[in-house]
Amino acid sequence: MLDLDRPKIEIRGVSKTYASERGPVLALRGTDLTVNEGEFVSIVGPSGCGKSTLLYVVGGFLAADGDVIIDGSAVKGPGTDRGVVFQEYALFPWLTVHDNIRYGLERQRVAASERDKIVDRLVNVIGLSGFENRYPRELSGGMKQRVAIARTLACDPAILLLDEPFGALDAQTREIMQDELLRIWLETRKTVLLVTHDVTEAVYLSNRICVMSARPGQIIEEFVVALDRSCSREELVISEPFNSIRNKVWLSARRQALAAGKQE
Amino acid sequence: MTHFPGKLLLSATRWMVRIAPLILFGLVWHLVCSAQLVNKDFLPSPLAVAAAFVDLFSSGEIATNLTITLFRAAVGLLLGAGCGVWIGVMMARSRHFREYVTPIVGGTYSLPKSALIPLFALWFGIGNLTAIAAVFLACLLPMVVNTYHGVLTTPKVLVWSAEALGTRERELWPRVFIRNALPDIFTGLRIALGFSFVLAISAEMIASTNGIGKLIFMYGENGTYDYMFAAICCVVIVAFFSDRALLVVTRRVLVWHESGAFERERRRP
Repeated sequence: MLDLDRPKIEIRGVSKTYASERGPVLALRGTDLTVNEGEFVSIVGPSGCGKSTLLYVVGGFLAADGDVIIDGSAVKGPGTDRGVVFQEYALFPWLTVHDNIRYGLERQRVAASERDKIVDRLVNVIGLSGFENRYPRELSGGMKQRVAIARTLACDPAILLLDEPFGALDAQTREIMQDELLRIWLETRKTVLLVTHDVTEAVYLSNRICVMSARPGQIIEEFVVALDRSCSREELVISEPFNSIRNKVWLSARRQALAAGKQE
Repeated sequence: MTHFPGKLLLSATRWMVRIAPLILFGLVWHLVCSAQLVNKDFLPSPLAVAAAFVDLFSSGEIATNLTITLFRAAVGLLLGAGCGVWIGVMMARSRHFREYVTPIVGGTYSLPKSALIPLFALWFGIGNLTAIAAVFLACLLPMVVNTYHGVLTTPKVLVWSAEALGTRERELWPRVFIRNALPDIFTGLRIALGFSFVLAISAEMIASTNGIGKLIFMYGENGTYDYMFAAICCVVIVAFFSDRALLVVTRRVLVWHESGAFERERRRP
């Protein structure tokens, strides 16, 4: 059962230092964040503030100081409970659309008949039937990102970690993809952690938005987004509650961006 | 079906356009010889070379020696490519291995491997082993360097995606790193293929009693240049077609790769 008050991801005092040519760089300093089960949380902040780093630490790809706890146990490395979608799609270029989506199912030794059923269903969901045998290089950016999302959903992870997933897409495609993501989230109620620099996107999609400070990154402000999502996108985006929260988040993020600009 | 004769005609014309420079080259060569601009003993006419070619062919001299040369080149190439990929992967995999191997690779990369043939002849004697060792060494380095580069340029997000989808660390090598390195490995293979001919023939010239290299050297020494040229032409033809064959295989294996798309775009009329 979905328990909206149960912490799914707990980030406690996470700090991360990178080695660079000009000495160590502190990317994150004592970051805390708790994401409850079924929650959609976005992290916005100036570029280079460490928001992607935080996501990679939660993914288990980067080691860091502090603790990341998923379902009560500490993260030691990547795991199939956390599905990841990257801005640069990260599809395996040597596998077709079909094989990319099937990849994770194969690694987890899902039975062949079951596997094909899941792949076929997802290919339909993302509207790419007829493209199963294409290679990633033959697809547009939007199609690639659909495949990447399908590949991640195939393994049915409880958590989705999205690293600026629509950042490389044109404005129209981006909106369509946001709607698809929202629909998927409403259907599956996975716990989602989204990193983005697009404030409108964050407001449109999430329950809660965390604004990160300039480097070293820390979450300095949180906004709860309580919007009625039963209406259409057009109605929602021009509505007063949407714009009031959007403006608040935007001002907060802008303060951080200006502070980051001064650091340069 | 109605398109078929048209297509055939088109490909025939394209073929003609491609071999036109060769025909022109032969014509100029022939004119230079028939006008007696150079001494006939030093530059035989293309017709004399063609006659020698036919003679070498019908006597079976070419077939016997070519088989020997190809055997040496192929064995050296396969061993060199296999070991090269292994060393390249190991260099990317282990820091210690890399630290030991890098100076050796760097030091021998620009060394002309043919300089080592006399030494190999001393160690391995006259014949197969010396030629194979020379080919092996020449093929090894481009394979090492290209494989290493290919593995090293694997995007981090591909590795992370694979891990998040349940790929274990050992599986990452065959499933991600080596796959990603394949285009570079094939680049290395193409360079190595060229080297394999060069080194097999050089080694035969210096330290062998048979093979095409020996044949070229022998006819050169005797001053029968028409036969020498015929043997050289034979090498050119074989090397050209093996390169083409490798390209066909490469295109098959790397259908997924961007370079394949580029080729196809360009070939559109």
